[in-house]
Amino acid sequence: MAVDREELKQKILEFATKKSKHKSKMYIKDLYKAMPEAKPREVKNAANELVREGKLEFFSSGSTTMYGVPGMGKGLEEAFED
Amino acid sequence: MADVKKHDTPMVDDLKSGPWPSFADDIEQMGLKGKQECLDLLGQLELSFKHKETHWKHGGIVGVFGYGGGVIGRYSDVPDQFPSIAHFHTVRVNQPASKFYTSKYLRKLCDIWDHRGSGMTNFHGSTGDMVLLGTKTDQLEPIFYDLTHQLGSDLGGSGSNLRTPSCCIGKARCEWSCIDTQDICYDLTQTFQDELHRPAFPYKFKFKVSGCPNDCVAAIARSDCSIIGTWRDDIRIDQEAVKAYVGGELKPNAGSHSDRDWGAFDIQKEVIDLCPTNCMWMEGDELKIDNRECTRCMHCINVMPEALRPGVDTGATILVGAKAPILDGAQLSTLAIPFIKMEPPYDDFKDFVDEIWMWWMEEGKNRERFGELIQRQSLQEFIRRAKLKPIPQMVKEPRSNPYVFWSEDEVEGGWERDVKAFRARHAA
Repeated sequence: MAVDREELKQKILEFATKKSKHKSKMYIKDLYKAMPEAKPREVKNAANELVREGKLEFFSSGSTTMYGVPGMGKGLEEAFED
Repeated sequence: MADVKKHDTPMVDDLKSGPWPSFADDIEQMGLKGKQECLDLLGQLELSFKHKETHWKHGGIVGVFGYGGGVIGRYSDVPDQFPSIAHFHTVRVNQPASKFYTSKYLRKLCDIWDHRGSGMTNFHGSTGDMVLLGTKTDQLEPIFYDLTHQLGSDLGGSGSNLRTPSCCIGKARCEWSCIDTQDICYDLTQTFQDELHRPAFPYKFKFKVSGCPNDCVAAIARSDCSIIGTWRDDIRIDQEAVKAYVGGELKPNAGSHSDRDWGAFDIQKEVIDLCPTNCMWMEGDELKIDNRECTRCMHCINVMPEALRPGVDTGATILVGAKAPILDGAQLSTLAIPFIKMEPPYDDFKDFVDEIWMWWMEEGKNRERFGELIQRQSLQEFIRRAKLKPIPQMVKEPRSNPYVFWSEDEVEGGWERDVKAFRARHAA
């Protein structure tokens, strides 16, 4: 059964915010733990919606993409400004 | 000369002295026409040669609004010395299937890139995209707007996304193509737009489509899912053309080795004896093929293209799990489906893709390619999750590398045995 999208987004955001205090960038697989009963594709869709809303942000090395919470850890540009 | 500053780059300049044209020449010429980025890039390269370490940092920016890929962030770690390349992001642009362009398209693309980027390009990246090298963060959205509105082009894939599917030239110009590679490539690109632009996977995933087993895009070596055209009926033989090759009227390999005198064409030595399954022979002046044994290596067809052609009942072989890593050495893809018709809308193939993606998304570790998941969890598990039926072709040879093991519920009585009863019958 499909999970409630808004509830999933809320749980992902809570999980990511909590986790980002000691690890600011997360793999998509880390976000699966926010709601284990949700399917991977549902988590991906919810996480991407959060990115569009500006509540999460992508961080990519070029080969791998990670998720972060804006303002936590180093931001997209800030990471490269020494 | 434009108002630009050339750095002192003796080691980079040394590259120009070799027998071949050097990238250093091209980039410098571009720089002297007014692109300071090109000269700063060479300056930073000189510094890297001096320090024997890179001065690039990468990562961060992933794309434009709504996209999780298509742009690879690049930054100089010595921006004070080379300010014009403080940001030097790479933009991947989805190439058209088989990489056909009009000159008008290319001119427009270059105009956009001269205006908003360094003017440097890489045609094409190994994934197949057009690669635009070097722009600043504030130019990304305008570049995307121009690409989509002026050229009808989209960004390609990067990061943990489906990468831009790519294909060989296919039926557009190749008579051997057994499948419409361009249509398949375009269809997959459109169908999987979400996976292409929004990261869904543990790592990258690549589709590559080759029209025949010559595999001109090296799908078997470079893609997580290789689609390679093949046929399941008989190789078509024109016996008159065979005689013409033997008699010397037609040149073998379409004349591609005729710059030297290799002597008269010897069909026995150059074709029949080189058949990997020994399935060819001559009966008088007629060439015979035991098609049941043919392994579709394409050698005979390549040597005598006017005499031999692929069959007419065509489709594709699907293989999975190749990768070309830096450390462990190349891994070729593994046979999954020996023959599938590959006709629009390709639903059977897409159902297969959905199954294997579901398995990979659930079980794949971070930065684990699909082929590595198969290695870790076994081919048997792959077959089960892909909902495939085991077939003899999946076994390399009897009693080795088996894909298939019995599971407990398939064996009468399961794994539990009465040891005492066994010992009563087998005392020693």
